[in-house]
Amino acid sequence: MKLFMREQTPLIIVYLAQLMMITLVYRLDGGSGVTVSLYAALLSTILLLGYLAYRYLANRTFYERLMTVPASLEDSGGPAQNTPLAASLRMLLAQQFRLYQNDLHNYRHKLEEHIHFINQWVHGMKTPLSVIHLIIQDKDGSPFTAIGDELDRLKKGLETVLYTARLDTFEHDFYVERLDLGAVVRSVTSEQKRLFIRKRVFPVISVESGISITSDEKWLSFVLTQLITNALRYTVEEGKFVHFHGYLQEQGRAVLEVRDEGVGIPPGDLPRVFDPYFTGVNGRSFQESTGMGLYLVKQICGKLEHEVEITSEVGKGTTVRIVF
Amino acid sequence: MFKIFIIEDDKGLVTLLQDYLHKFGYETRAVHDFEAVRTEFEAFAPQLVLLDVNLPKFDGYYWCRQIRSVSTCPILFISARDGKMDQVMALENGADDYITKPFDYEIAMAKIKSHLRRAYGSYAGGGTERSLTVSGLMLDVERLILTRGGDRIDLSHTEAKILDELMQKSGTIVTRDRLLEKIWDTEAFVDDNTLNVYVTRVRKKLAALGIMEGLQTVRGQGYRLTGNWEEG
Repeated sequence: MKLFMREQTPLIIVYLAQLMMITLVYRLDGGSGVTVSLYAALLSTILLLGYLAYRYLANRTFYERLMTVPASLEDSGGPAQNTPLAASLRMLLAQQFRLYQNDLHNYRHKLEEHIHFINQWVHGMKTPLSVIHLIIQDKDGSPFTAIGDELDRLKKGLETVLYTARLDTFEHDFYVERLDLGAVVRSVTSEQKRLFIRKRVFPVISVESGISITSDEKWLSFVLTQLITNALRYTVEEGKFVHFHGYLQEQGRAVLEVRDEGVGIPPGDLPRVFDPYFTGVNGRSFQESTGMGLYLVKQICGKLEHEVEITSEVGKGTTVRIVF
Repeated sequence: MFKIFIIEDDKGLVTLLQDYLHKFGYETRAVHDFEAVRTEFEAFAPQLVLLDVNLPKFDGYYWCRQIRSVSTCPILFISARDGKMDQVMALENGADDYITKPFDYEIAMAKIKSHLRRAYGSYAGGGTERSLTVSGLMLDVERLILTRGGDRIDLSHTEAKILDELMQKSGTIVTRDRLLEKIWDTEAFVDDNTLNVYVTRVRKKLAALGIMEGLQTVRGQGYRLTGNWEEG
């Protein structure tokens, strides 16, 4: 209604001006009296009001449509009424919608292709990695240890790429089941044994037995691996520990705490650690920080519907808590 | 002697796998023509198949079905894909197990052995037993027994693992990191102090068999099994 009034205001003004002008001309011509002029004005105004009413009723939904903001792409179906203006607007919108859809489809297709390529590529890289891994497996001594370390880094890098690419198509790629929390923690820590041994920082696992959680094993393992990598990276001294503490909350929810005894995160950085590409003070003084680790942890936990919290004290260590 | 057929297009990986399997007395053959996998399979008539998923022409699932139509031998997939769906696909197409790249020799070996055992009876055909001998000292890795001359002594699992590693590399230094890695169990991790305890126990067991100075500590580097005691 408001839009309609605004739209029609110039017409009403012109109409009034016209009415006055015509009355004036007739008056100056000396033809008619005041009452006749008033009567004519009344009749003609009724005509105008009739016209306006008709216009409004005919185009009501059209105006309403113009006033409402679309909530989604599919929402722009166009006005239902069939006046010429409404129909042409509907056609225009439909046309534009099609164009956008085409464009969107192209981009979606490109993105899918890109993800597919990344997937292929990462898997392709795993074969040479296996070959190197097998070659050095039986060898001992510092050059092979160094190659092994680099190999581990490559492997982690590839995993991160893979999981980042998969994050958008998460729905196709997860499988939720009941898992034994202790078993998951032990298997992940054992997979990272080289890293623990190299850093001379060891895990302490105290998970209450029989805690079962509902999660996806692969994604959860990836999350834990990220947390372990972080914990070990920021623990400088040898002989420290990374504590894995699993327990049930009062409300019956399972919690896993991963606490390291490392350098800790400055309070100023703490609120932003889950942002992508955020590396903070520690990231600058330690190498290899991509700022993606905790971001991925947060995203994945979000998708798995686990809560994740972080607390830290500089010089004392960092605790990450996952609530299942 | 068991025959193992390897269907994998990466030459480096095939060579390594073959060398390793030969050490344990298996006969192997790798596929030559990726369009005639089934024909080559039938010609070689292996007891077990190692199969990659990504192959030229057809994928591993296809060849798995092809092989399944003529044989029930164990088929183990070796693939870089670690998705649950990939594993399910493999099993649904007739595979018996799934190994993800990059993998350890030990894992591949353990799975091969267990499938052979299940398919052809325990320890049938030989080639799967593993024992090590250094200067008359013999370690039976499967049965956890150490023998020298007429004497024998039982070992714990961890002690056997330590001796296995030391005896394989007898005469050279084995680093502490290496030993820690070998004996790290999924159930419990092993730290430096625990390793010291185990090494002491191994020394005692060696002493019980009359080997007093066999296991040397090399400061800052690791341990060395000299192997220069008298043959018992």
